[in-house]
Amino acid sequence: MTERSVLDDFELIIEDIGGGGRPPFDRDGGDYGDGGRRSPGASFARKYAIAIALAMVSILMFFMAVVAAFLVLRMTSAKWVEFRIPNLLWLNTAILLASSATLELARKRLNAFDEAGFKKLWMLTTALGIAFVAGQSIAWKELLAAGIHGSTTLAAGFFYVFTVAHAVHLLGGICALLFVGLRKFRTSLVTRNAAAEIASYYWHFMDGLWVFLLALLYFGK
Amino acid sequence: MENLSWRPILAVDHKSVGKRFLCLALLCIVLGMVLSLAMRIHLSRQDAGLLPSVAVPAEQYQAMMLVHGSLMVFFVLVAAPQCGFGYFLLPLQIGAREMAFPFLSGLSFWMTVSSLCGIMASFLAIPAAGTGMGMTLWLFSVACFCLAMILASLNICVTVINSRAKGMTLPRLPVTVWAWLVTAILSLLIFSILLAASTLLISDRFAGTRFFSFRIASAAAHSVLWQRWFWFFAQAEVYVAMLPCFGVVTHVLAVYSRRKLWGERVAVLGLCALGLAGFCIWGEHMFASGLNPYTPLVFSMLASSLGIPALLLILCWFRTLWGATLRLDTAMLFALGFIALFLSGGISGIFMARHTSAGVGANDALVAGHFHLVMGVAATFSILAALFFWFPKIFGRRLNETLGKIHFWVTLAGVYILFMPMHWLGLLERENVLTGAGSLGHILSMTILVATTITLAAQILFFYNFFWSVWRGERSGTKNPWRATTLEWFVDSPPPHENFGGGAPVVFRGAYEFGVRLAGEDFVPQHLAPERIAKLR
Repeated sequence: MTERSVLDDFELIIEDIGGGGRPPFDRDGGDYGDGGRRSPGASFARKYAIAIALAMVSILMFFMAVVAAFLVLRMTSAKWVEFRIPNLLWLNTAILLASSATLELARKRLNAFDEAGFKKLWMLTTALGIAFVAGQSIAWKELLAAGIHGSTTLAAGFFYVFTVAHAVHLLGGICALLFVGLRKFRTSLVTRNAAAEIASYYWHFMDGLWVFLLALLYFGK
Repeated sequence: MENLSWRPILAVDHKSVGKRFLCLALLCIVLGMVLSLAMRIHLSRQDAGLLPSVAVPAEQYQAMMLVHGSLMVFFVLVAAPQCGFGYFLLPLQIGAREMAFPFLSGLSFWMTVSSLCGIMASFLAIPAAGTGMGMTLWLFSVACFCLAMILASLNICVTVINSRAKGMTLPRLPVTVWAWLVTAILSLLIFSILLAASTLLISDRFAGTRFFSFRIASAAAHSVLWQRWFWFFAQAEVYVAMLPCFGVVTHVLAVYSRRKLWGERVAVLGLCALGLAGFCIWGEHMFASGLNPYTPLVFSMLASSLGIPALLLILCWFRTLWGATLRLDTAMLFALGFIALFLSGGISGIFMARHTSAGVGANDALVAGHFHLVMGVAATFSILAALFFWFPKIFGRRLNETLGKIHFWVTLAGVYILFMPMHWLGLLERENVLTGAGSLGHILSMTILVATTITLAAQILFFYNFFWSVWRGERSGTKNPWRATTLEWFVDSPPPHENFGGGAPVVFRGAYEFGVRLAGEDFVPQHLAPERIAKLR
């Protein structure tokens, strides 16, 4: 079975793209043709950007399914008992929106090669994110102390599901912010600028999602 | 033993993970088959008072059915074609050295294993119930599986979009890769929905919320809310299971018929259209649940319109086969068997799509027969076709062809003798002309039991062939025993670490350049440069 075959003439010719101990990296897709090859770093960053975009689609589907249930039960419920959303949520929202602003300011500093300014603003963004989650947990405690549990009303149940699920996803964002802020990118194939840009997509998405959920809870109560 | 790559067990390279997914699917097939035999014995006894002492309480029977369905649908029909073959072959076929996120490959596998353990534990916990522990475990396991599939889908999408070799443009992708991509997009969407539904149900059971038990306008609305979510997932899930099978069968047909795939772009368009339509027809299973009177008509029309892309695919298959000199190896036989099963099962699907008939008996034998023939068995035939075709590449050895052919013919006859009477039984159930020893219903039920036993026994032959061939099968010798054109056939068998020795191939043409005379062969590989072709001529 091992005799030489004419198929051996079809031997696969391999382009050397960086073996020999260098760290593996991805190459560009075929749609860029022969002349349009990008740097490995750009391809690496693109990989994460696509992954974040797809993750956002998946997260959006998750929340939209729960939103659909909220709307259906709101309209068909025989007795929809309202409850007052804690005022602290408005402050938390302001904190989250402020974090988006500081994140963009941090990226501007980074693009202007002001590493120290970037670090300060980036860590401020991270702190604001942590403050938002802490604020949410205080709001849950307030509600529980007032005797409003998930079982009290449907509206309360949805409030807890929306806010907890959002907070869990936001914690993922905080981890990403910490990663970008603390990691040394000198030996990495991705630049800090690219990493910061990709993290910003997710952070702004979580901001927008929260504003939508708050509006839904407020107007749909 | 080294072929199975058990060590290191935590390896996250795409080949190890792909093989582990395939082994997991084989294990689940065995478990699922044992459960299906137990259920058939129970039903036969129920119908005619025969086979005493093997009856099970109703709750245990329901648990068996739930676990049989979960194992077969999640861990076999979804995991094997998409994650088993997908993980193993996708980077090889697009010329990448690895998946985009190897860590996610490993994570998705271990989450799937955790989910399987949870489902099996729930099976043991359900009969002892009263506490609802079994169902809670099942729900957590399903949520875990959803997360695993979301991660796997994300990984597959990014790999196809970002990691293709130079020259591997979208039109040059093999149909299998298109199928994996469309399936991954569909999975990403629908598993998120099922995850949301499971989260709310878990919240009801643990956090005291009452999304599915609150007092609402209609009493039936509680279960309908869950059903709508479930079918939003489950109807599209049929296509998640079937689309990779369409890809595999299309690919295998082209290789064995030694013909350029007729209407390759039409086939790809058909796959995309099936994915899109499959996402939109969830209401097909809700006809009996009190939808708006006009809604069933819309879903009925949408469901019926699925026939158009399916017809396009069938047209591509038959046009490719027409006039070809076929080589009827076992892989090709299973691919042809898939077409036969898909067509015969699909015909009854047209009747199911009618909104006037679909709600009549959502759980009767007619629906079970249709579902098993078109989805369960047809998809399994495609998995077997893929296994026979890519076995030399995965393990470096061949499966035994003689045993494979015997296995094929016995299984094909067995499934027809099993599921055609099941259709008939379903029609009798709808006419209420059943029951009693000696009745036609009883005869059909016993025929189904005998056919089930024979079909399952035939699978022993396959498992023997599989395990014998992994260790002692004939070595494949050449890298490309089927004289195929795609990239995976031009690396060693099994493929080396990083696939292409740390480099990358360059692609110059599509994946189905058959029937072209070159150097005594009848095909041109995807990677062969025009100047080398000129030299060989």
